[in-house]
Amino acid sequence: MTAREMETVVLAGNPNVGKTTLFNALTGKTGKVANVAGATVDLKTGETFTPHGQKLRIVDLPGCLSLNGEAPDQQLARRALLGELEELGKPDLALCVLDASNLERNLMLALEVIEAGLPVIVVLNMIDVAEASGIRLDPVVLSEELGVPIVPVQANKQHGIVELKQAIRHPLPPASGAPWASAEHPVEARQQLALELCELAARRPDSHQSTLSDKLDAQLIHPVLGWVYLIAIMFAVFWSIFSFAAIPMGWVEAGQGWLEGLVAGAMPEGDFRDLIISGIIGGVGSVVVFLPQILILFFFIGLLESSGYMARAAFMMDGLMSKVGLSGKAFLPLLSSYACAIPGIMATRSIDSAKERLTTIFVAPWMSCTARLPVYFLLIPMLLGGSEGGLTQALVLLAIYVFGTLSAFVVARVLRGRLGEDAQPRHFTLELPPYRAPQWGYVFRHLADRGWSFLRKAGTVIMGISIVLWALSTYPKSDSDDPAEMLQHSLMGRISSTVEPVVRPLGFDGRTGTAVLTSFAAREVFNASMFQLFRVEEIEEDETASRDRLRQRLAEETWEDGTAMFRPLTVISLLIFYIYALQCLPTSAVTARESGSWKWAAGQFVFMTGVAALGSLLVYQVGSLLGF
Amino acid sequence: MAHVSAAELETDSLQTLAQATVGCDFRIRFLEGPACEQLRRLGFCETLRVRKLSHGRNLICTVCGTRMALSRELAQQVKGTPLTAA
Ligand SMILES: Nc1nc2c(ncn2[C@@H]2O[C@H](COP(=O)(O)OP(=O)(O)O)[C@@H](O)[C@H]2O)c(=O)[nH]1
Repeated sequence: MTAREMETVVLAGNPNVGKTTLFNALTGKTGKVANVAGATVDLKTGETFTPHGQKLRIVDLPGCLSLNGEAPDQQLARRALLGELEELGKPDLALCVLDASNLERNLMLALEVIEAGLPVIVVLNMIDVAEASGIRLDPVVLSEELGVPIVPVQANKQHGIVELKQAIRHPLPPASGAPWASAEHPVEARQQLALELCELAARRPDSHQSTLSDKLDAQLIHPVLGWVYLIAIMFAVFWSIFSFAAIPMGWVEAGQGWLEGLVAGAMPEGDFRDLIISGIIGGVGSVVVFLPQILILFFFIGLLESSGYMARAAFMMDGLMSKVGLSGKAFLPLLSSYACAIPGIMATRSIDSAKERLTTIFVAPWMSCTARLPVYFLLIPMLLGGSEGGLTQALVLLAIYVFGTLSAFVVARVLRGRLGEDAQPRHFTLELPPYRAPQWGYVFRHLADRGWSFLRKAGTVIMGISIVLWALSTYPKSDSDDPAEMLQHSLMGRISSTVEPVVRPLGFDGRTGTAVLTSFAAREVFNASMFQLFRVEEIEEDETASRDRLRQRLAEETWEDGTAMFRPLTVISLLIFYIYALQCLPTSAVTARESGSWKWAAGQFVFMTGVAALGSLLVYQVGSLLGF
Repeated sequence: MAHVSAAELETDSLQTLAQATVGCDFRIRFLEGPACEQLRRLGFCETLRVRKLSHGRNLICTVCGTRMALSRELAQQVKGTPLTAA
């Protein structure tokens, strides 16, 4: 059956009303993401069957407070409902999902949806929450007043789904009229009607009692105490990333070693085996070890979001962020960027102001992402001597994080000033949802999403680069048996002598320069390249020991005049480069998509890489002059 | 549409939500300023009761059972009367 013959049902609703949950309940999670030309927001579509076995297409529209706005998600929802999207055609029915515990607000959207002129069924979700807060719902009255069928459900427990499926079978209800839409001020008219309807059909007990949320808020967003909590929570989050992650990271490494052993045992010696072991398993493995850290950070972010704390953190941060021209809403995207800039940039969608959003996207990659960690872990001990671990090294790492973040804020401030005000000034508003126990389903669903997209990147981009790198350093082959000569003869060796004059002023030799060059599509590749270029065998099963060996090797390297090649100054110059350079192809792609322009992504790349190179140059040259 | 009781009228001193006292209930009379649309969409509209919970750069209030933080500029565009003395 083609998409055209199947009838289309769209799901509309405010954010956080349980639309996704309902979508999953209806489609049994068969949903897939459909791209709409020219839209930055994705549409999810899936299929469901009515009790009579008729197949229906279900489309999940982006959640929005109103259809009449310029935000991309609002435009998309509006166009979809009006049948202006070619990909969808005109929908046959709209399911308007409302949060029954908050009808005053939700009904506004329902009225707008009814105005679109489609047959509408209103789904009252979260009836358990409404009941718990003492609201007396009267769906029959509401249905009579609105002239559309109403189905109460509790999507997360699948209550009412059968009734809903029964309601969407033929004949579909006729489109209802919208007399209020012809009023002189339709917005006020809608508002007024929504309030009247609530008076009739969703009576609240006399509210405003002090709830648990009030008591928590008295602490958590207290002007002084609130900061103590915020800092403590952030500290705990980052501390767990660095301490707990070591355990699962060990597993990944062990798994990698086991896999390499397996391949080594099963395949005859030769180029192909070499490709699999050091090219693919080694290259991809050096990236996948960071999966635990990313997952832990996103686990906490999910936890904080679903418990309602994230909104408070954004509220607390608003004052601080406004100093650099951003608002509290930029906090979550920037925090996520510490794990990975890609989800961070995607999270900027919740920022209302277009210019603030662009600014946030622009600076997000300077929040030190986990992909930089392997590079830092390799370099920091060289700065201080000794092996990995210890308080001083932790402090240097912290300083690097702070340095990147502060630089990002400076740029944000300048950029925001240059971009100027939005055409329509946007003022800060933020809903502070009631605190609730974390929704584990939500937390783990997001976690799985993030983990999967990270692995996909490792399996595609990183694997591709690893293979290319391996080939570059293997071919063309020389007759010599000496690995040093073999490498020099290979393409990589030749590139290395070509780049040497360019990177020399930054304090790098050709090999380090080549390693930097190879890490432009994904910065974590740097380590793998260094191992290959300085011909240090990685030790299976133990990343730390391998890095130790590489460091020893690097410490022995000298320039032609016999001075040490990796002086502290060189290491600092390298660190500066990695703090600033935008070496992540997927990030550039996401920036281009989310900002809607390749120019923005290109500008970001050129700017960040330029700052990185200039920074390194300056540090190395001035440092050398001063005799370091 | 808005029926105002005599008791409420007695405290009839129009002020903005930004000026209202913390802990006070406040009835919105009208919205005035460039951001009316944005406010309405958030649920701030005529005749509604709002409880102001805190002052500050961004003040916090509950409207329709939802807790909202909003900037002072926005709060200055909400005009109304206090309902109970703080
Ligand atoms: N108590 C309750 N929670 C629900 C119900 N439906 C959904 N939820 C929860 O509400 C949260 C938001 O749901 P989601 O589907 O992500 O909302 P969306 O933003 O509208 O797509 C999730 O944590 C759901 O588990 C319901 O009927 N009752």
